[in-house]
Amino acid sequence: MSGAALLEVEGLSRNFGGLQVASDISLTLRAGDRCALIGPNGAGKTTFVNLVTGVIPPSAGTIRLAGRDVTGLPAAERVRLGLIRSFQVARLFRSMTVREHLELAVLQRDRRTFRLFASVARVAGLAGEVAELLDAMGLGAVASTAVGSLPYGQQRLLEIALAVAMKPKVLILDEPAAGVPHAESQRILDAIDRLPTDLAVLMIEHDMDLVFRFASSIVVLAQGRLLCSGTAAEIAADPQVREVYLGSRADAR
Amino acid sequence: METMFGIAVDGVAYGMILFIISVGLSVTLGLMRVVNLAHGAFAMVGGYIASYAAQGAGLPYAAALPVAVVLTVLATLPLERLLYRRIYGSANELAQVLLTIGLTFVIVAGINYLFGPTLKRIPLPELLTGTVQIGSKAIPAHRAFVIVAGGLTLLALWWLLERTDFGIRLRAAVDDPAMAAALGIRTERLYLATFALGSGLAALGGVLGAELLPLEPYYAIRYIVLFLAVVAVGGAGSIFGSAAAALALGIVDTAGKYLIPSFGEFFFYAALILILFRWPYGFFKGRTA
Amino acid sequence: MTMAGRTASRTGVAGAHPPPAARRDLGWIGIPLVAVAGLAAFWLLPDDLALLTRIAASALFVLSLDLVLGYGGIATLGQAAMYGTGAYAAGIAAVNWISDPFALLAVGGLAGGLIALVTGALILHAHGLTLLMLTIAVGQIVQEIANKARDWTGGSDGLSGIDPAPVLGLFRFDLYGRTAFLFALAVLVVALMVARRIVRSPFGLACRGVKEDPLRVSALGGSPKSYLVALYAVAGVFAGVAGALTAVTSGIVGLDSAGFPWSAEALVMLVLGGTGRLYGAVIGTAVFMGIHHILASSDPFHWMGFIGLFLIGIVLFLPGGIASGAGRLSALLSALARPGRDGGRA
Repeated sequence: MSGAALLEVEGLSRNFGGLQVASDISLTLRAGDRCALIGPNGAGKTTFVNLVTGVIPPSAGTIRLAGRDVTGLPAAERVRLGLIRSFQVARLFRSMTVREHLELAVLQRDRRTFRLFASVARVAGLAGEVAELLDAMGLGAVASTAVGSLPYGQQRLLEIALAVAMKPKVLILDEPAAGVPHAESQRILDAIDRLPTDLAVLMIEHDMDLVFRFASSIVVLAQGRLLCSGTAAEIAADPQVREVYLGSRADAR
Repeated sequence: METMFGIAVDGVAYGMILFIISVGLSVTLGLMRVVNLAHGAFAMVGGYIASYAAQGAGLPYAAALPVAVVLTVLATLPLERLLYRRIYGSANELAQVLLTIGLTFVIVAGINYLFGPTLKRIPLPELLTGTVQIGSKAIPAHRAFVIVAGGLTLLALWWLLERTDFGIRLRAAVDDPAMAAALGIRTERLYLATFALGSGLAALGGVLGAELLPLEPYYAIRYIVLFLAVVAVGGAGSIFGSAAAALALGIVDTAGKYLIPSFGEFFFYAALILILFRWPYGFFKGRTA
Repeated sequence: MTMAGRTASRTGVAGAHPPPAARRDLGWIGIPLVAVAGLAAFWLLPDDLALLTRIAASALFVLSLDLVLGYGGIATLGQAAMYGTGAYAAGIAAVNWISDPFALLAVGGLAGGLIALVTGALILHAHGLTLLMLTIAVGQIVQEIANKARDWTGGSDGLSGIDPAPVLGLFRFDLYGRTAFLFALAVLVVALMVARRIVRSPFGLACRGVKEDPLRVSALGGSPKSYLVALYAVAGVFAGVAGALTAVTSGIVGLDSAGFPWSAEALVMLVLGGTGRLYGAVIGTAVFMGIHHILASSDPFHWMGFIGLFLIGIVLFLPGGIASGAGRLSALLSALARPGRDGGRA
């Protein structure tokens, strides 16, 4: 279980004014890793994702993607290099159909979007790949539906399908099942299970059932710093984690 | 030297007219985020009412001016209730453009129906037709009057915004609408009052400026670009920004007409692009913010 | 751009948009329909060919605005900058060097595309009111240059003496305007085909994405601004060809071809016909200029009042234009019909 290192984060820090929202976070994801990032509300999970994806610049630290330093690159450039995220709240083009979303993602990935006079329907290989993606995510039946009128669970599935369509090296899923009824979250998990094994996945999640089902390793953030990391079993047994995170949540329930 | 002085006087007077009209647009844009392309039509309505009051009803200039302002405000307030209120907010600019162009067309047609297509004048009282002596220079009295009126308008607005309760609320709402609403500022009434202020200023400028921007039905379309340019350079909601931009435009344009009868407007719009490129929220706002 | 997203989602929610799949299948019918309608008008209204020619060229201009606004969400009041540039470029070329009508259209298209590319790269970082102002300013500058470059453009007198050679060397521009109209109609039909091709291309798809949510497009690795600039330039080519077409068919170019009122009028025509549909541009232009011709011959101001009320009505009641009105009406009718039919079966 030691594939090539795809995402290497070292000493990542960020402060807003005097507030340290991320301090000295280091993390390595290898090909095939299924890692969950957990932590109580306000632990800095979203900030961490924004730092890694390039939405906000870090105050210190480096980020390497498949060996290449991307710390100074803009977000869109990191996307082109294979660092893809899904959004916590489905963020889609409401009037476009499911199929059009996937077509756009694939075309964008292959940098074929500046073709002005080719018909989308006739771009070589596109229809087949999109059909495969639709099948894989179980979205075939709604392929021609405008996304605005799709139930939320299917929008989340499409969100994941979009990320997959871009053939990521590293995929960051920001609470992929948030806001989805429990019955439907199963389909999302199935979709995640079927992700290609050679990519590294980092999932931010609150739902511990989901985390333990999905993750081979777990990283715990608290107050902007890395509290601990380890295998799922180690984390579940860690008293420190129980105290700051699992314990408090269990009590709250 | 004589020409320079003439340019300065004419330019400042022209700038003051632009200021009085544009600042009304600037305030409504700053607060309600509405691009009111009918603002020029409001100014025109003020001018026509004054013209009718003076020529048709025989009122003296001093009475026709306030009558025109008040009647314009009364005539436009229902529009705020019926139309503008639906399109407030920066997410609506296409609807704003269409609705206010539509309104402009209707007003242009209405003015033509009522007053005909010919040029209308507002006869000046004798006091304003002569010249006033300042030191060794003679200034046309009307120009002097316009400059003084512009200066007073600037002062009055400054006082209104800095020293009155209304002004405090208005500035709060411009800076942070959500916070203002949370503090219990009744934005609906504030919007209505601001709209009234805006159309009143438009009417005032329309009347005072009738000598420089002549009254005819296409007035509303012909000059709106000028007013918008002043607001864009001055920054929406900025009174001193509007004044500075209006004076700059007035002087540049006038100088262009006298000296190089050529590229005045060209330079102004080129400057406009450069300024907006560098300070997208207007030269004066962009620097303070 | 936020405006565009909002409009789109509003109509999306209301179900006014036909599903794109359906649009895709039926869309091509519009092109032969335009051609047939144009030819019918040619036979039925032989005395109004000058007007019909103006309508065809203007429809091409409004089509260029639809590309920008309907497919990119760029709200502009300066599209006439490209039209005017194209018209003057073709006019100047015709007076001095070239007489082949197709070459003149190419000159106009090139000029319009270039000016759009340059100004678009400069101004398309802006949004909302600032962008509106910038587009107006570009238009004013073009108009001002045309006004001052009197030796080339004729200034406020207009540029005249454009005398194009026969089309394909065969059909001369006759006094009755027959050649002019058929030429304009042919150009319009070809332009519609090209525009349809572009909006259904990968590029068109990406632009629609930018229109709805530019940030999401960046998250897919795209650069929203480059799409918008490219789209603006492409539309500039269309606008430039439209200007050149007017110059070639009418023989004159005036200052108002680059003016703010012409930009605003194009916007009105487009909204009248409906944005984001291509044919909406043709319908809106034909309706607007047709009614204008009828009403304005009695009194131009009646026309303004009429169109003004119409615009206010559209904003208040029909945010998607005539075409969406028809769409909604049919949706309403079928919704009304359905329960009755079901009841009959039960």
